This record gives sequence, C-alpha cells and structure tokens, in this order.
Amino acid sequence: MNTRILLPLLLLVSSAAANERDATQIVRDAIDHWRGLSSYTEMTMVIHRPDWERSMTLQAWTKGDDRSLVRVIEPRKDRGNGTLTDDNKMWTYSPKINRVIKVPSSMMGQSWMGSDFSNKDVARADDIVDQYDHTILSETDEDGIVVFEIESIPHEEAAVVWGREVLRIREDHVVLSHAFYDQDDELVKTLQSLEIVEMGGRTIASRQRMVKVDEPDEWTEIAVNDVQYELELRDSLFTLSNLRNPRD
Amino acid sequence: MRMLSVLSRLAWRYLWRNHRRTIVMLGAISIGAWAMIFMTALTRGMVDQMILDGISALPGHVQVHHPDYLDDPSINNLLPLDDEELERRFAGAGFVAWSSRVKVPAVITSERESRGVTLLGIDPAAERGLTFIDEENIDGRFLEGPDDKGIVIGAKLARTLETEVGKRVVLMSQDPDNDIADRGFRIIGLFHASMPDHEDGYVFVGKRVAQNMLRIGGATTEVVFLGDDYRNVEPTYEQVLAAVDGSVSVKRWNEVATYLGSMLEVMDGFVVIWVIVIFLALSFGLVNTLVMAVFERVREIGLMMALGMKPSAILGQIILESMLLLIVGLAIGDLLAWASIQPIKDGLDISIVAEGMEMMGASSILYPKLLLQDVVLANVVVLILGFLASLSPAWRASRYEPVEAITKV
Repeated sequence: MNTRILLPLLLLVSSAAANERDATQIVRDAIDHWRGLSSYTEMTMVIHRPDWERSMTLQAWTKGDDRSLVRVIEPRKDRGNGTLTDDNKMWTYSPKINRVIKVPSSMMGQSWMGSDFSNKDVARADDIVDQYDHTILSETDEDGIVVFEIESIPHEEAAVVWGREVLRIREDHVVLSHAFYDQDDELVKTLQSLEIVEMGGRTIASRQRMVKVDEPDEWTEIAVNDVQYELELRDSLFTLSNLRNPRD
Repeated sequence: MRMLSVLSRLAWRYLWRNHRRTIVMLGAISIGAWAMIFMTALTRGMVDQMILDGISALPGHVQVHHPDYLDDPSINNLLPLDDEELERRFAGAGFVAWSSRVKVPAVITSERESRGVTLLGIDPAAERGLTFIDEENIDGRFLEGPDDKGIVIGAKLARTLETEVGKRVVLMSQDPDNDIADRGFRIIGLFHASMPDHEDGYVFVGKRVAQNMLRIGGATTEVVFLGDDYRNVEPTYEQVLAAVDGSVSVKRWNEVATYLGSMLEVMDGFVVIWVIVIFLALSFGLVNTLVMAVFERVREIGLMMALGMKPSAILGQIILESMLLLIVGLAIGDLLAWASIQPIKDGLDISIVAEGMEMMGASSILYPKLLLQDVVLANVVVLILGFLASLSPAWRASRYEPVEAITKV
C-alpha cells in the first residue's frame, strides 16, 4: 500500500531533480564544448551602427574555466590592444599608453572594445552555469537534431540583472540562441548563431550576432575564422607580462 | 532732566507740525526695518534648513574615519576599530545617536542602465535621526535590520534605471584586495528626499549584508555621532576624541562638510552687510528730511537762540527729532516684520522656485527664523547710524548766528 503511493511520488521527485541536473548539465556541456579545456581562436568582430561599421580581427586563447587572453591584430592602429581575464579579474593593455590597467568593478558593466558585449560578458562567461537555476522548457526535433530550450533564472543574490534567460541548445552542444529578458519578461537582447560549421574538429557556431531589441540597427557580430582545441598552452601565456609583451 | 523733557516735547510737536513729511519718512524707515528683519529671518531660515538637511544628509555632528578616508573614500581605508570594539567604547555613552556604517562608492545596474552611487551599509535602528530618510515617506518599506537582504534606493534613481520596487538590481564595488565584489539585490523600497542629489546618489543596504558582500568582516568605514545642537558640537567632539587613539581621525561636521560650515559663517557676516546696505539707502532720506527741517525754520531757531537757548540744546533738539522719528519707525517696522513672519512660521512653500533652490542645496519649504540677535542688530545699527547722520544738520543748526538767523528771509 505504502510503496504503491510512494513509488510514483519518488519517481516524480527524482525525475524533477534529474531534469534540473540535466538542464544544468546541458548548459555546462555547451560552454565546455564551445571553449574546450583549452582553445585558440582567430575571429573577426564587426561592430555595426546605423551610421558606421568597424571590424577588428582578434586572437583569443582560453585555458580552463577562468583564464583567457584576447589580443587585437587588426586594424593596425589597434594592434596589440589586449584583454586578460583570470578568475573574475580583468586587465586591459594598450600599447599606445603602454600601461596595463585593471578594469575596476565600476567599468565591468561597460562595453568591451566598443562592442555590444560588456566587460562582464567577456570576463564571466561561465557564471551562467552556477548562478542560475536551469529548467528544460521544451525538446523539439529540428532537421533530425534535438534542440533543448532551456530557461535559466538567476539566483536571488546573483549579480545578474536579467529576469530570465532562454537558451536554445542543440543536442550536439551548439548554442543556437541566447535571449535575455528583463524582469517584466520583455526581450531585451539576443545572441543568435547565424552559421554552424565543422571547425577544429567540432561543430560550432561560427557566426554569432548580438542584437538589442530596441535598436535592431545596432549589432555586434563575431565570426570565427579559425579554431583549435585542446592545445598545450603554457601558463605563462595568461600573465600580465605576456599581456604587455607578447612572446608567442 | 527738565531740559530733556522740554526738548523732547518741542521735538515731538515739531515732527507733527509737518505731519505729511513725517509720515512719509516713518513709512520709509518702517519698510526699511521690516525688510532688514524679514529678509534676514528668511535667509536665516534657509541656511538653517540647509545645514539641518546637510547634517541629516549623513554627516551627523561628529565623524570618525580612517585618517585617509576623507581624501580617498575607498574600501581600503577601513576603520581600524571593528563593530565589537566600537560597541564597547560608545554604547551607552549618552550620545543622542551614533552609528557605524559602510560607505563606499559602487555601481548600480539594472537591465537598461547603470549609475555610480554611494553604497551605504547601515543598521537602520541606529541610524534614526542620522539620515535624511523619512521612513513614513517610502514606497515599499525601509530596511528592517542590518541583515535585511533588500536594497532601498531613491525614487529618482529608480526612474533613471527604469526599475521599481520588487525588481532586482546588481550592485558592484570592490573588496580590499581590489577584486570585484558584486551581488544582486531586490529593491524593497524607494525613498524620497528633499534634495534630488540625495535621491540618485545614495543606496541603502543592511550593514552586515554589505560587509559580507565586500568581504570586510565586522569592519566599517565611518562612525557618526549626533549631539544636542549643531551649533555646539564641542562636548560631543571631546567625548569621542577621548575614547579613541590617534589611529583614526575625528572631525566635526563643519570640517567634513566645509561648504556648510563656511555657509554658516558667511551668513553672520551677510546679516550685518544687509542691514547696512538698507540703512545707507534710508539715510539719504533721513538726512534730507532733517536738513529740510533745519532750513525751514532758520528764523525760529534764531529766535529761540535770541531768547537764550543754548546751541547745545538746539543740537539736542534736532538729534532728538531724528531719534524719535527712527524709534517710531523702527517700532512699526519691527511689528510689521513680526506680523508678516507669524503667518508663515510653519513653512513657506517655495516649490515654484524649488529647482533653483535645490541647486544650492536648500529644500522647497522655507521656515523663516526670527532671531532676537538679528532684530537687536538691525535696530541698534539703525539708531547708531541715524544718530551719526543727523549730527551734521544738527551741528549746522546750532551754529547759527541769532541776529543773522532772525533776519533771514
């Protein structure tokens, strides 16, 4: 008698927990898939505004969860500008002033290199895993590939302003879109994957665009030109002295 | 003595012989006196309000900081005394109020905007009387204790950030190692302040929540004390100074808010200048009236002298005339000023010009303040200067040659 009531209940509880773990796991896998244990990427970033557009070519290295180095190689006048992140700390370097500057907390919300990404977006990409509660909203089949729609709600005390975020992630860990909703549940901005290709031995979103809903004419696009995963990267790559004086 | 009573009777009668001129002069003097006192009371009220607002805008009467905090109000300049130590030294020491706070610069971010603000981690119970926050005038609620996890921001800041009560915002600052310290807060209340600067410059969170977020344990950045009267903070200052050593700096409010401090000093000088300026305008009328009064009765004066009146008595009579004129005028003016301040004693709404006033740091309701010292000052200055101004015509009248004066046509 007892077991007959308890068993379905237990199953229900455990499946809810499993669902949540699954959702978190899907998000974590997607980030790990995008970044690998270590990676080297060469990409082009296009910043588009109604009256101008500019593009820059960047090199980026990542290692583990929290270390990354981004360096501008083109245009020439910006060559050598760089950003180093370690844990949640962030430094920038500009050869023109020959100074490494630690990005103060007051500037973390500001635009990174003039783009539609904030410094915080760059420095703390994986907050999405542990500062949110994830649930799977739906599982759909698109052209033979399962797509999970995952709703991520930030924890009460998380340093996140969004009301919720909705990620669409394919079963092969490719993020199709990442939508940011405000606390009135209005869509504010979306990061959309425009092209998905095979590169560096993985299927990845090679072209992504960040657009604000209010200003559809303003966007930032990142196109991956080349990517390599699981490289042996020296720890010395992610140091302030290397940010200042590239030795690669 | 008899001489004086005769002279004053003569002077009084003479004043009313040409009553039209006397009434015009009385009008001028009383309006002048009214303006001196009334305007002084208004300005006093304004400055007083500014200082009270200024003090309630957080300085308290006496403050204790790390010696470098005032130059660099950052998390690195924490007080060397933690909360327990402060409690031991100051609890029950008889201050009207005292409180320790965490006060550091921070950035507040909503979905759409971010702004630089001053983060205040407070213990709401201890802050009573020390903040400009009117707990009755809050949309939502105020912090309930040092562990309250909510945040209270100004209504104006909320509009800028396009957020409201019940929504979450992110507060970002840094910890003593210069690492980012941030946390999400749910807005539990919006406060209204008489000064817009306060409304978008300060955000309030629980003290212990702020200490956890900034990873500073039980440390704070400032302690403020409130004594009985902002004009006399010395007892409080001495008491605090005696309880601490040289590792912290103890400051009076007028040293922290130097603008407010010098304002108070300027105000005292301003009252004297204002009274003198009005008097200068008045004195032309007064001297002119007296000179006319002398010219008009050269023959009469000559006759009195011929009958044996001493020149000093003539001098006395003219001066008495001007003094009587001034005393009556001042009395009317004082009454007028009192009568016009009485109905607006409970506050004059000047919200029409509020925007301009707020730029100066004054609020939109003006409480005129009639100080006895200002009234005495205005009256005494007018009497003394009036006496000096009437000396010259009186002197001239007393120097007439009787024969010449009588025969003058």
